[in-house]
Amino acid sequence: MIAMDFFRLIIQSLAGLGNALCFLGDILRNVLRGKVRYGEVLRQVYEQGAQSVVIIALTSFATGAVLAIQGAETLSRFGAKQYIAQLVAWSLVREMSPVFTAIIFSAKAGARITAELGTMNVNDQMLATRALGVDPIEYLIVPRMLACFLVMPILTIVSEIVGIAGGYLVGIFEANIPGPYYINQTLRAVRYVDFFSGFAKVFFFAVLVGWICCYQGFVTQGGSLGVGKYTTKAVAYSIIIVILSNTVLTKLIITFWG
Amino acid sequence: MIRVEHLFKSFDGQKVLNDISFSVPEGEILVILGASGTGKSVLLKCMMGLMKPDKGQIWIDDKEITRLPEGDLLKVRKHIGYLFQEGALYDFMTVYENIAFPLQEHTALDQRAIEAKVKNALELVDLQGVEGKHPSELSGGMKKRVGLARSIILGSKILFCDEPTSGLDPIRSRDISSLIKNVSKRLLCTTVITSHDIRNSFYVADRCALIRDGKIIAMGTRSQMEASSNAFVKEFIH
Ligand SMILES: Nc1ncnc2c1ncn2[C@@H]1O[C@H](COP(=O)(O)OP(=O)(O)OP(=O)(O)O)[C@@H](O)[C@H]1O
Ligand SMILES: [Mg+2]
Repeated sequence: MIAMDFFRLIIQSLAGLGNALCFLGDILRNVLRGKVRYGEVLRQVYEQGAQSVVIIALTSFATGAVLAIQGAETLSRFGAKQYIAQLVAWSLVREMSPVFTAIIFSAKAGARITAELGTMNVNDQMLATRALGVDPIEYLIVPRMLACFLVMPILTIVSEIVGIAGGYLVGIFEANIPGPYYINQTLRAVRYVDFFSGFAKVFFFAVLVGWICCYQGFVTQGGSLGVGKYTTKAVAYSIIIVILSNTVLTKLIITFWG
Repeated sequence: MIRVEHLFKSFDGQKVLNDISFSVPEGEILVILGASGTGKSVLLKCMMGLMKPDKGQIWIDDKEITRLPEGDLLKVRKHIGYLFQEGALYDFMTVYENIAFPLQEHTALDQRAIEAKVKNALELVDLQGVEGKHPSELSGGMKKRVGLARSIILGSKILFCDEPTSGLDPIRSRDISSLIKNVSKRLLCTTVITSHDIRNSFYVADRCALIRDGKIIAMGTRSQMEASSNAFVKEFIH
């Protein structure tokens, strides 16, 4: 009995994954054929970006500050307080900013995407799109997906800059490090490899989060209850997958790239 | 010309359409009658290719649509006006943008021409001064009329209306019915309407069909329906 249920669960998951892959394939086909509505993309970029930028800046600032406080505490035990700048910059650029941005983006913009598409689904607006002879993937999904791909990297850079600023303030006021020295240390610490090893991940996360959130919205059914269910599912999946895939990506990047 | 042949559709074992066949000659208005939950909307969605039937064929002009891939279906649907039961307007667009949407998608008209057409369509459905409102600010009946305006704006030769008069007051129902009849007769539209509003149905319809338990149990003109000896038909139309 339990074995049967388990078996069914596996089959269902595989079918779900297959459908989700077909969905991604449809999106890619549209993009490759140049069926992209740039006006819509721009509108989505604005909406998603404007929605998440403040909260991402806030959390990044706090994260940078916390890293500096902890850094000052631990590093001063080894008499290495002057390395706070490096610690903050490396942590943010290599790990924290990409991952935090992806997580907060999922919870804000991602949830919005799923809820919006899901509501359109349960109110027949998705069907209406098809009835009007317009492909909903082209009209509704591709712009949202591309917007994710464009907005998340920008948000990550915002997060890195604001986070470093948070660390800087703690550094000069709490740890009494001279400001110009701190900035100089930061700039010297972050090499291209550091920056791009973090930055490359963001594009992965953007595709994953956009894909998950758009897909969950696209398959939402079951009225307003369904919208709630699929939206939470989209956010939960996004966050779990970002964190798990980050582990793999970090290992890969460090192995092959330093 | 629309032809439906031996259509079957069920959901999780619940048989909704059970061998439906009929045809609508060009320019005719057919009203499909039936109690709530008998599958009228499902039938119309199948005819639009929005739902796949389990079995059977649907011919729109000379195309069999049940096996067409979505890409080809989109092209077929450009030539069909479809009114959803709940209107199905885009929440994120104003009334004006909703009605203008099909024109922007499928015609090369300029802004001025689109404006004139939308204004005209809104006048037809007796709605003025709501262009700038969002659907959430409209009543159910108003949404339906906006939906109707959107579905006739391209002047398609085929028109499907899912319960155009439900949720409207009796006078508006009559107005909307005569509007559909006028539009349909003027453009020689092949029109399929679902309804459970007998009075208006007899008014617009060239022929009616009554569905029960997934089957068409009676079909014909008003006088043929009224002359039917079937007990359920009598009960339904009186
Ligand atoms: N997507 C769906 N999934 C499962 N069952 C469905 C679905 N759509 C419709 N049904 C079922 O099919 C039956 C017919 O539904 P339909 O909406 O076609 O009724 P209707 O004749 O249009 O009713 P009404 O006059 O109230 O609009 C209902 O019993 C409904 O439960
Ligand atoms: Mg219905």
